[in-house]
Amino acid sequence: MKNRISSLVVVALVGASALAAWGAGLKIELPLETGLFEPGEHSEIANAQCLVCHSSEYVTTQPPMPRAFWKASVEKMQQKYGAPISAGQAELLVEYLAKYYGAASNTTTNPAPQTEPATVPPRPDAPLLLDGAKVAVKYGCLACHNEKVKLVGPALNQIASKYRDDTGFREKIALQVTRGGSGQWGSIPMPPFPKIPESEVKAVAEWILSLK
Amino acid sequence: MSTLRKNSPDVGRRRFLHDAGIIAAMTLLPFSGARAQAQETVTLPFENGRRRLVKYPQKRPLIVLTSRPPQLETPFAVFNESLLTPNDAFFVRYHLSDSPPLEVNLDSFRLELKGAVNRPLSFSIADLKSQFEPVEIVAVNQCSGNSRGFFQPRVAGGQLANGAMGNAGWKGVPLKALLDRAGLAATAAQVTFNGLDNPVIDKTPDFIKALSVDQAADGEVMLAYEMNGEDLPMLNGYPLRLVVPGYFGTYWVKHLNEIQVVDKNFTGFWMNPAYRIPDNAGACVDPGVTPKSTLPINRLNIRSFITSLADGAVHAKGREMLLRGIAFDGGYGIAEVVVSSDGGQNWRQARIGKDHGKYSFREWTIALNPEKAGPLELKVRATNRIGQTQPMEPLWNPAGYMRNVVETVKVQVV
Repeated sequence: MKNRISSLVVVALVGASALAAWGAGLKIELPLETGLFEPGEHSEIANAQCLVCHSSEYVTTQPPMPRAFWKASVEKMQQKYGAPISAGQAELLVEYLAKYYGAASNTTTNPAPQTEPATVPPRPDAPLLLDGAKVAVKYGCLACHNEKVKLVGPALNQIASKYRDDTGFREKIALQVTRGGSGQWGSIPMPPFPKIPESEVKAVAEWILSLK
Repeated sequence: MSTLRKNSPDVGRRRFLHDAGIIAAMTLLPFSGARAQAQETVTLPFENGRRRLVKYPQKRPLIVLTSRPPQLETPFAVFNESLLTPNDAFFVRYHLSDSPPLEVNLDSFRLELKGAVNRPLSFSIADLKSQFEPVEIVAVNQCSGNSRGFFQPRVAGGQLANGAMGNAGWKGVPLKALLDRAGLAATAAQVTFNGLDNPVIDKTPDFIKALSVDQAADGEVMLAYEMNGEDLPMLNGYPLRLVVPGYFGTYWVKHLNEIQVVDKNFTGFWMNPAYRIPDNAGACVDPGVTPKSTLPINRLNIRSFITSLADGAVHAKGREMLLRGIAFDGGYGIAEVVVSSDGGQNWRQARIGKDHGKYSFREWTIALNPEKAGPLELKVRATNRIGQTQPMEPLWNPAGYMRNVVETVKVQVV
């Protein structure tokens, strides 16, 4: 037991260079999330809604399942997890999921390991979320903000026109994103998103600023 | 068994990656870039089983089930490396998008113990280490949904092969010691556990789990700050997690910072309706049937695996075949492991390895002498000290929990 543990310590230390330890405690940096949904009709709803709370693998790693499965999944997200998906969006989302991740039935048998995988393969090589628009998708900003239309929150081009000449804009939006707040545009508060890395906050601020 | 089929044409490089020295070299690369996430994939042996292998902080490349929140599966070959699962290979399971915490500062971190107690208490990690006698236990942590991907018919949820389990030495403080110091109110019924991880939408239920007061104070339930002689990795709950020996991982709350004693049974989402099993002996129903009544998932059921050979292995006729594997249960202890090399018609008793405690993986070994060329269907079946064993045919439940069918590995003798 002792020997095993000490050999494990070595393994753990080997991995430690990936960390920035500071004072007493631990900081980590996660790999970038990958994977937008398969582009297709209504994929923008999946990208805007599903990605608020989880990465796309929650969908893409499911077996090909029938429409009823996806309908139940969307309803679960609405009812159990509080996803702000409107009834109209939910219907289109189910259509999309059933089309791109669905199957006629779920009674397929397990293929032997030798057979080729998945008729609907997951996308390990799906695009990385790098620019501001994709960051906005990644963190679900678009669930409440549209580029041109006021939804729950103000339209992003309205934010851009209000702050375009403000040299402190980038700092202001960074604070708004990480700390949240209300009052600038109405009484509905924006929740804080403290975990979005600074580089991504900057990217999203640049993108918003570019919107006309 | 969870045989990993390797998709990359560059198999040589992957073997290379399995070498610990090379993993050390890899950590020098930035792991947030696309290059560091090169197309290393494996295919788990069920439909749509292709997964990326990605290196997360303090981890070697693991099988990515989901990237936000991170859910990482241990490649099955790891279970043949050692009876204790290395920290850098230990599986990761989160529920909520705002997790794991990206930083924990020990100067400000506090564990709060409150609710139906005589004296609410607050502890830093240093307090826990200095004020209480530490205890150590080796125990298996297994995800409720481990092996869900093998369910037929398939069910919704994390589509895992057999790698959402691990065995570690845990060191920390018995929860009983803290409860004794706080003093339970006479009305105390349950104890709830909450960690630093959070949802991103207010309406999403926070991940809170509950145990009965009796279980919480049984002296075995522990607040662990060390795992295999090291601080917990962040992705396994740094700086403190609940350890509930013999119980499924859902109770082992990570980044534990709030313990609340409550007067009534806690009915939060993650106790009900989530993590429920059919209320019957096999925790099962006929496929497609909704259980009439359910109860919270609880004790691990008995399982065993062959770890030394994977599906599709080739063995030379006339050579001795040394088989090795693991068995574990929810804490009654492994009494017997039997192995069949003819698909379950005849069974031979395996030799049981050293006892690291009733909650640990137990190693087993057996030497076979396959005399005929052709396919060989190896099966392993464990029995615990109260006579519970594994079913020959898989049991089914709607959530895909508690799979414990007798596992089969098919090899070729040539």
